[in-house]
Amino acid sequence: MATTTLDPRADTYGRSWVLDWLTTVDHKKIGILYIVNSFIFFFAAGILALVIRSELAVPGLQFVDVETYNQAFTMHGTIMIFLFVVPVLSGFGNYIVPLQIGAPDMAFPRINALSFWLLPLGGLLIFSGYLFGGAAAEGWTGYAPLAAERFSPGVGTDLWIIGLTLVGTASILGAVNFIATIFKMRAPGMTLFRMPIFVWTMLVTAVLILLATPVLAGGLIALFIDRNYGGSFFDPSVGGNPILWQHIFWFFGHPEVYIVILPAMGVVSEIIPVFSRKPLFGYKAFVFATIAIGLLSFSVWAHHMFTTGQVLLPFFAFMTTLIGIPTGVKMFNWLATMWRGKITLATPMLFAIGFLAMFLIGGISGVMLGQPPIDFHLQDTYFVVAHLHYVFFGGSVFGVFAAAYYWFPKMTGRMLNEPLGKVHFWLHFIGFNLTFFPHHQLGLSGMPRRIADYSPDAGWTILNLISTVGAFMIAVSVLPFLINVVASLINGEPAGDDPWEGNTLEWATTSPPPPYNFDRLPPIHSERPLFYLTHGHGHAVAAGREHEVEEAEEGADEDVAGDVEKREGLV
Amino acid sequence: MPHPGARSRARSIVSAGAPLLVVLLLGGCLLPPDPKTEAGQDVFNLYVVVLAFAAVVFVGVEGFIVYAIVRYRRQPGDNTLPEQHHGNTKVEILWTAIPSVIVLVLFIMSIITLGSVEARSDEPGVTIEVTAKQWTWDFSYPEGVTISGRSGEPTELPVPVGEPIRIVLHSADVNHAFFVPQFLIKRDAIDMGENASPNEIEFVVTEAGTYAGQCAEFCGIGHKDMIFVVNAMPRADYDAHMAALAASETPPPAAGGEDCATTIALAAEESIRFDTDSIEAPEDEDFCIELTNNDIVEHNVGIDEIGFYGENVAPGESITYVIPAMEAGEYTFLCTLHPQAMVGVLTVTE
Repeated sequence: MATTTLDPRADTYGRSWVLDWLTTVDHKKIGILYIVNSFIFFFAAGILALVIRSELAVPGLQFVDVETYNQAFTMHGTIMIFLFVVPVLSGFGNYIVPLQIGAPDMAFPRINALSFWLLPLGGLLIFSGYLFGGAAAEGWTGYAPLAAERFSPGVGTDLWIIGLTLVGTASILGAVNFIATIFKMRAPGMTLFRMPIFVWTMLVTAVLILLATPVLAGGLIALFIDRNYGGSFFDPSVGGNPILWQHIFWFFGHPEVYIVILPAMGVVSEIIPVFSRKPLFGYKAFVFATIAIGLLSFSVWAHHMFTTGQVLLPFFAFMTTLIGIPTGVKMFNWLATMWRGKITLATPMLFAIGFLAMFLIGGISGVMLGQPPIDFHLQDTYFVVAHLHYVFFGGSVFGVFAAAYYWFPKMTGRMLNEPLGKVHFWLHFIGFNLTFFPHHQLGLSGMPRRIADYSPDAGWTILNLISTVGAFMIAVSVLPFLINVVASLINGEPAGDDPWEGNTLEWATTSPPPPYNFDRLPPIHSERPLFYLTHGHGHAVAAGREHEVEEAEEGADEDVAGDVEKREGLV
Repeated sequence: MPHPGARSRARSIVSAGAPLLVVLLLGGCLLPPDPKTEAGQDVFNLYVVVLAFAAVVFVGVEGFIVYAIVRYRRQPGDNTLPEQHHGNTKVEILWTAIPSVIVLVLFIMSIITLGSVEARSDEPGVTIEVTAKQWTWDFSYPEGVTISGRSGEPTELPVPVGEPIRIVLHSADVNHAFFVPQFLIKRDAIDMGENASPNEIEFVVTEAGTYAGQCAEFCGIGHKDMIFVVNAMPRADYDAHMAALAASETPPPAAGGEDCATTIALAAEESIRFDTDSIEAPEDEDFCIELTNNDIVEHNVGIDEIGFYGENVAPGESITYVIPAMEAGEYTFLCTLHPQAMVGVLTVTE
């Protein structure tokens, strides 16, 4: 008798490859769309960075005029933050979060597609200012009154506002989706305190986006009304308040810093345990530190405004200083995870360690800037430029590349080439420090941000030249990465399901995973289900005790660990 | 005899530590300029203490990272698992306490220094009303002298040494910031409208000399050209200098020209531009320029080549100048406040 078996992997009907990607609601494909789209914007904003660094290499205006320069740094900042760092981490979250919690997809697949497709649209609108008389040129912070119609009449600023509002809407939709997915779609056994740290950081990030981004959207709309419909939110001559814009912007803008750093911390917290062959030290402390950073991030915004003379300095200085504590705890947890581990320096681990080493510098300079008397000297100088790049680039972007090298095998089924990865890392690491470390000294000696030129007598020439050389080194470092991605896609070593001996559920399925993600899930008794599956001997929970552990709602990790320790003691 | 593996390990720690040392030596120059005000010295001292904490944390953490990488590297073929530590509450409490103590100490020191930076005297030696505007500075003195500058050239800010100088910061348009690196101080100049009184800062300059300053808050295409120079001198010199400035204030060119044969109408339009970038005048005869300011900020008109610079014209006003006869050729006319955006060619034709 002939039987027809239904293969769940078979596509139900044939579709063209292009249409498939354009209409997909699969979280993995959307995740890849996010990542590819973000990298395109990364390269565009990177070229703008080269324009900036070329102009500043030596005194005098050589390459661009001041207006073009101002547009370049405005677009560079806006695009890097809103269309690269935030969405690329959302992209990894999109791909990885459902897999890590054992879900078949995000909670709202169609909203997921919508929140992605708003991004290229918003990004193109922001860039399209170049076609209509010049892009926005007020800096990524868009301070009023400079951004008011009478000081910046160009339509580029309006396009910047509209584009950013769309991008913000995309973020908000994505955040709702992450929160719903993480709370409602976890596999049986995946309690909150068994979630991988990356999922935790994406959850806290989503809450921050949900609370902060609507504030920015409101501010942008108010600015749009001021510019186009005779509003007076920020115009002091008719009773408005220019400081209000700064409050609104930074009430969003400081949580935004954690929106881009927390997921990168999550990535690093996945990679360091795997490549040290140890669990993350102090899992719960790490979770609480993440939540603490999220909460504190809403009470520190005015440390961007110390020099306005309009904020309560001791309060904001104190709250800012407090953020150093949970951040310090995290640093110690990472270090303790490496302590007495068995460390493999594969490329993902190199980038993760690069994150620790560089984010530390950004953290330290952040505490310095949080002291109002010091900030009075350093605010709006290149020291701030150094600080923010050590956080955004040394932190988030190192995290992004760590994630790319770590999860590429899962996404494509192919390994990236290790030697090319290492070349990429070292060029990137050295180029980054050459570019941004000198900025500390430039700022200390008084070079303000956002100037297109400086006097040859100021003594800033050599450091600027070094910085420019570094910037081109970063640009060159992208080449081995791109070559690696293309070559590995074509001819990379097959990855298998679990090339890194991972801890978390994404490694329990095929690479790439099928559309529905899992044929079946391993038992989940801790935050490292895969570890206990592969290292069962002496590390897994005995079969007879399985149901007991499942009943324990929280603190299961300690239970398992306790079991393991007892067991090892007996052995 | 030491274990050979231990020696090579020690050597690799040293080789990994060498770049760290270089970074540290570089760190030795991570200092602000030599402070030239009393409060600036306090900020400098605070900074040095903070930098010392930072250096200890930096060396400790980076050193640990390098040590861990070298010491705990997985050997090829080693498939054993290290001990699976999940955490240690005592240690975690300790390392929550350490950063807490550090940041609290820093916070208290900052607040103490803040007191000295923000201290205000009852009777400042001089109170200077500073107006920042796109893209020049105006410094108004109680003696009635106002020093205005041309954009791109440092405007002089004379002050006496050794007594409190109060700076009141106004803005005529967008946000600016008054920044003198060698004073380690900066404050925004913002048009607060009715929301708040203008920002004030106060400092006592400790040493005579000239100190460069510039706008630190991005304010448009002339941002880099908003430069000034503090000229600090002993009180006697300062008084003489101010008296000389008051006496030598060259009166602006007289307005007039009702009976001009040729009158060139020039208008300053909204968002900082002239209505034209080329004007024409006849050779070898006097002509007039009538500047009408339709913008919302002050403008003026000048001709660089003949050293003619008109007065600033308030919004809505206009002024006419008689320009003495010029030879044929091309000249530059401009607004000295906004030469970045308001510049054009005056062609004197035969």
